[in-house]
Amino acid sequence: MKKAILYINQFFGQIGGEEEADFAPEIREGLVGPAIELQKQLGEDIKVTHTIICGDNYMGSNTEEAVNTILGFLEDKEFDIFFAGPAFRAGRYGVACGNIGKAVSEKFNVPVISSMNEENPGVEMFRKDIYIFKGGKSAAAMREDIKKMADFGKKIVKGETLLSAEEEGYFGRGLRRQVWLDPPVTAADRVVDMLLKKLNGEPFKTELPIPPVDTVPIAPPIKDLSKATIAIVTSGGIVPVDNPDRIQSASATRWGKYDISNMERLEAGVFKTIHAGFDPMVANQNPNVIVPLDALRAYEKEGKIGKVHEYFYTTVGTGTTQGEAARMAREIVEHLKEGQVDGVILVST
Amino acid sequence: MRLELGNFYVKDIVFGEETSYSNGILTINKEEALKVVMEDEHITDADLHIVKPGDRVRLVPVKEAIEPRVRVDGGPVFPGVTGDLMQAGNGRTHALKDCSVLVVGKHWGGFQDGLIDMSGEGAKYTYYSQLKNIVLVADTDEEFEKREQQKKNRALRWAGMRLAEYIGSCVKDLEPDELEVFELEPIVKRTKQENDLPSVVLVLQFQSQMEELGYNDLVYGWDTNRMLPTFMHPNEILDGAVISGSFMPSSSKWSTYDIQNFPVIRRLYKEHGKTLNFLGVIASNLNVALDQKERSALLVAQIAKSLGADGAIVAEEGYGNPDADFIACIVALEDAGIKTVGLTPECTGRDGRSQPLVTMDPKADAIVSTGDVSQLIELPPMETVIGELESLARDGFAGGWWGDEVLGPSVREDGSIIMENNSMFCGDQVVGWSTKTVKEF
Repeated sequence: MKKAILYINQFFGQIGGEEEADFAPEIREGLVGPAIELQKQLGEDIKVTHTIICGDNYMGSNTEEAVNTILGFLEDKEFDIFFAGPAFRAGRYGVACGNIGKAVSEKFNVPVISSMNEENPGVEMFRKDIYIFKGGKSAAAMREDIKKMADFGKKIVKGETLLSAEEEGYFGRGLRRQVWLDPPVTAADRVVDMLLKKLNGEPFKTELPIPPVDTVPIAPPIKDLSKATIAIVTSGGIVPVDNPDRIQSASATRWGKYDISNMERLEAGVFKTIHAGFDPMVANQNPNVIVPLDALRAYEKEGKIGKVHEYFYTTVGTGTTQGEAARMAREIVEHLKEGQVDGVILVST
Repeated sequence: MRLELGNFYVKDIVFGEETSYSNGILTINKEEALKVVMEDEHITDADLHIVKPGDRVRLVPVKEAIEPRVRVDGGPVFPGVTGDLMQAGNGRTHALKDCSVLVVGKHWGGFQDGLIDMSGEGAKYTYYSQLKNIVLVADTDEEFEKREQQKKNRALRWAGMRLAEYIGSCVKDLEPDELEVFELEPIVKRTKQENDLPSVVLVLQFQSQMEELGYNDLVYGWDTNRMLPTFMHPNEILDGAVISGSFMPSSSKWSTYDIQNFPVIRRLYKEHGKTLNFLGVIASNLNVALDQKERSALLVAQIAKSLGADGAIVAEEGYGNPDADFIACIVALEDAGIKTVGLTPECTGRDGRSQPLVTMDPKADAIVSTGDVSQLIELPPMETVIGELESLARDGFAGGWWGDEVLGPSVREDGSIIMENNSMFCGDQVVGWSTKTVKEF
């Protein structure tokens, strides 16, 4: 027998309406409000042991405290899965379900299932963190929404194959994985069929939806370059020849920081590239083509720039995912800030 | 242009006295075959194995796959590569079907090499686990690249092609089990019925990212890096005018066998005269410099427009940097008023949360996805390994690694492995076999 716990707000917890929205979190043994329907739908495989109730305003204005209190409630409880809601179109309730769901998922590493209407702001805020099923507009959809949550919960605890977000009915978590089509249809057939539909003006469905563009704004120019500290950061894989930090040649997850404060240029044989995505010959003969220390030193002497930062930072860009690249960049930025760097030359290859 | 492909379906492969084909049984004289392999003095050591679907065999590092064929009226199977230049795509070629020559390094692998499991959980990741394979395992004296991550694999790949020609030659004078005819009238001389249908071109972006010669796909022996987009007859592609290269993570690569059999071309042929008018192939490339990318996209769009294309399919061999060429080409075609569908694998990262292509554009509103190169795959040990298992971790495979804090090394002491799909041999089957797609979870 697996165990579940449900989170609901003060209204569905039968504490009261808007006037009770400041209700502090409570945990009760057994079933309260929607938990009864949830238990009914879960059947004998999963037992709902507790119901947590919290006022929407309380969660909204004391989020950290509310979350910590609830995590505290859960510390000595055994549970395999966590449910929150359904929250329908109730905005504060949806955000509350998301906040507590995300925290529970991170701390206890259990699946968290909720349900919200597409117009609930909680969907966009938390769809990447927990399973949010596509729910109705109001409590009239309670039974239907709970059934979807319960059915999926049963699938998870039984270890059944989980289908894609669209097939299961939850909002996609921004996580893409390869699957084999059943029944199998070859890419040759799919691509020609899609083209025929597009040519004939019939509706077609791309297999790779283009998400909204994630653009980083261009930084304002440096006012006085002659006083600026300039650093070099590269995804071109230039490292000391023994690659001391064992940065991977493709799909990198590591980066390195190397002292260049006593160098006029990077010498061949001392540095090389370990990047597997381009012909390394030229870079190995002259690593400055990727880490242009020689040119920056010249600018330094000429007074065009204030100085060159003491280190350069390096990783490999080929096959490296945007997620890993962003993480590495955030880590490198800390070092750049510490070194009071004003500008960065970011050399890609 | 009229190509007759005479197919001989191979039900079993055995070693024997005389290299021959009879009633579905392909017999290979091993000694004679190895002599053909050893014609190149750079091959220092070679052996042949026969592996079939269901065998408890793991092959690594796999460098190339080739379908054994023979040109019935004489001439090399790969013009400009294994012999003199001549027109491909015309006349009669005989092919041994359901089998391939696989080229495996005896020791050394690299970025571009892959892995094949002939049975078990790993078999589903590559097309070649369902073929009967003649496996050439060999070593060379190419010392200059032995420890290099990027290998031209010249001696081994050419040995594979010679071997495929040698084996193919045994069906030269035989009557095939089946004869397929591929014929298209010149574009301006087609029937009204054909001309009234939407006209379609297939744009093939061959892998050409290495500036140094010797790594890229070849068109009639010419390095695709040094090529501008050009119009080709689909028969040329099906008949040995293009061979695979030795660059790009293996799963997104197109082997020579893939190119010889190109399922998208076959499907377009099937539709020709019925639902569309198949104009032909625009052979393009995937170079690294931005102006080269732009130049190729411009020329592809111009050729397609000049030919009167209403629609186009664009397929890229690879991912990552080439995504820029892929998207640029789709955008250029759409801007020219040509309705376009893309065909590509994606790279979403080990956690599946990264942007699937390096560049994207809202105009690329129709894409067929053939797989996710970055998906992690864990496989149990295999009874027999042909090649050298250690190469997956040691030699800089795109999907293998020596060490990882969380995952450990790609190759474990007990022979089990953990790798990225990246190194499954031609696993993403962009040429059209893939029954994989990528979905959001």
